[in-house]
Amino acid sequence: MSQSTSLKSLLARHEAVLVLVIIVEVVFFQTLGRNFLVGRNISNVFRHSVEIGLLAVAMTPVILTGGIDLSVGSMMGLCAVLFGMMVNSLGLDPWVAGLAAIAFGALGGGLNAVLITRLNLPPLIVTLGTFSLFRGLAEALTKGAESYSGFPQSFLALGNSNIAGLPAQIWVFFAVAAGIWVLVHHTTFGRSFRAIGFSPEGARYAGIPVARNTSLAYVIAGAVAGLAAVILVSRLGEARANAGIGYELLAITAVVLGGVSIFGGSGTVGGTLLGWVALAILNNGLTRISDYRIMDQPVASVARELSGLLTGVLLLAALAIGASTKTLAVRRARKQSLAQKSATS
Amino acid sequence: MKNRTFFAALALLATLPFTSCSKSESKSKLTIALLPKSKGNQYFVTCEKGARTAAAELGAELKFDGPINSDPAKQNEIVENWITDGVDVIVAACENKDSISTALKKAQSAGIKVVTYDADSQMDARTFFVNQATAKGIGEQLIDTAASLTGSEGEFAIITGTLTAANLNEWIKHIKDRQADAYPKMKLVDIKPCDDQKDKAQQEATNLLSAYPNLKAIIAVCSPAVPGAAEAVKQAGKTGAVKVLGLGLPSENKAYVKEGVTQAVILWNVEELGYLAVMAGAAVAKGELVAGATEFAAGKLGTKSVVGDNIILGKPFVFTKDNIDKFDF
Repeated sequence: MSQSTSLKSLLARHEAVLVLVIIVEVVFFQTLGRNFLVGRNISNVFRHSVEIGLLAVAMTPVILTGGIDLSVGSMMGLCAVLFGMMVNSLGLDPWVAGLAAIAFGALGGGLNAVLITRLNLPPLIVTLGTFSLFRGLAEALTKGAESYSGFPQSFLALGNSNIAGLPAQIWVFFAVAAGIWVLVHHTTFGRSFRAIGFSPEGARYAGIPVARNTSLAYVIAGAVAGLAAVILVSRLGEARANAGIGYELLAITAVVLGGVSIFGGSGTVGGTLLGWVALAILNNGLTRISDYRIMDQPVASVARELSGLLTGVLLLAALAIGASTKTLAVRRARKQSLAQKSATS
Repeated sequence: MKNRTFFAALALLATLPFTSCSKSESKSKLTIALLPKSKGNQYFVTCEKGARTAAAELGAELKFDGPINSDPAKQNEIVENWITDGVDVIVAACENKDSISTALKKAQSAGIKVVTYDADSQMDARTFFVNQATAKGIGEQLIDTAASLTGSEGEFAIITGTLTAANLNEWIKHIKDRQADAYPKMKLVDIKPCDDQKDKAQQEATNLLSAYPNLKAIIAVCSPAVPGAAEAVKQAGKTGAVKVLGLGLPSENKAYVKEGVTQAVILWNVEELGYLAVMAGAAVAKGELVAGATEFAAGKLGTKSVVGDNIILGKPFVFTKDNIDKFDF
């Protein structure tokens, strides 16, 4: 009981710290940058990061079970190519092809799940394999050069228009994030993810179908990667084998920054969302600073290099703070119990 | 208690957009945004150098930004950020033609002028394309250079990328046409593909050297083939006897050129390309260069011809032992 409340309060504290980080970022970029808090830019913050947000929320259940999925970025490339082929070569309606791409994503996630749960292979190794496999397939299908474009305007609108003042695709993201949040935090099924991550043996003794539930996490991750691919294609207007390259690491960064333990067992979908927002604002905000220079260049023109660097700093700082508060809490508890012992003796 | 601070923070966050207003940018200076295919590539760093010269001459502000990795979404995001900035003109080298066009069209509908250079977008996503070299210009420069190296006679062979590459075939066609017209004593004996690999090019060149003992020159029309052919000629001990020339980056061939294995490397002057692109962008933004123009006064480069919606940089540049040290791309 005390164990779970202290964990919970630690997580709550971590989320409060992230909210603070986000506020600091907003104030900082609004003060130093140009056109930061304007409608078009706020839209861009989310429009440019929806795909990574999707991967991150879907990665959360996977990491909660103590697993990892390195294949989601490559899966995006494969699904993008399959989507393009279905629309351009088979003449399928983009929306039907979109659903099919999501199904292919789920299928790929299923492959990960089978290898991990049935053959008991480590998730890191399995998804490292499918990371190469999916990207390789995408490149083979397009001979590394072909790409697909010429999609109808109604489909491109998903990636490029606004609904109620926000990018159209952000509403899809909200729906997915809400779905995964409900699953993880408000169903017995979803709560089992943390139990599995905390102790797979314990979960098994408690009667949880560990293999089946773990599998579902990977299938969801694959399906959502398929959806992210469709959204990316609708934003760019072109489907290519290199879609989503490197996105898996950005998604994992958001999840870990959000306070989800990489060893599994603890973390929240809300934390992941906060981690994602903090990174999205950082990436965009730096591009707004054109009046200040760093190393003789306007900050905006080295924004990508800086955001990589600062993401690293932010992540390591968050982990260090998390670890040190945990150590402090443990030390304080030990001291208290020692004091109690000496008082009673 | 913790919840209260959380919500207070959220409330604060929510009010921010309304309490602050966006700063207005001073609009006196023309702002030109130059997009390379990738930022670290020496080719585009050299473009930027020329672009900076042009911007300084024009008294314009130049923004230079591009992707640092192969994420295909990055060029689009940079363009969208420039739309937010309200730049006057975007001058873009397009990595993925169709995806970047989506963003460039958005820029156009936001009132921003668009010019492309180096690699074109879809035609309706820009006003002009600054074309670094026409197929005719490249093909003719290659055969003219080969002719001057061999005294306009003897056998020569071509090493190409793949036999299906449209642009390479176009260049080869112009090589053949020009040779038939102007250099009747020269004879094209073979065309070999190297799959854009240096090793394969070296192997093909070695085969050519033994198959055609009278070979006078090897023309490489794809860039990996130039050092590949040079290595083959060097190892066969035919340095100087068989001339090597081709289309490539001076930096990749510098060593062979200095040793005298490779006689000429042909490429447009990349710095001038960056200069011309920015000059054209500025002229379009100011309304000085409009559709239908047939020529364009490009500052220190003089007058350049405009063919349709292509602004032509001109004849490719020949890098030789004498000038190659002056270039670092």
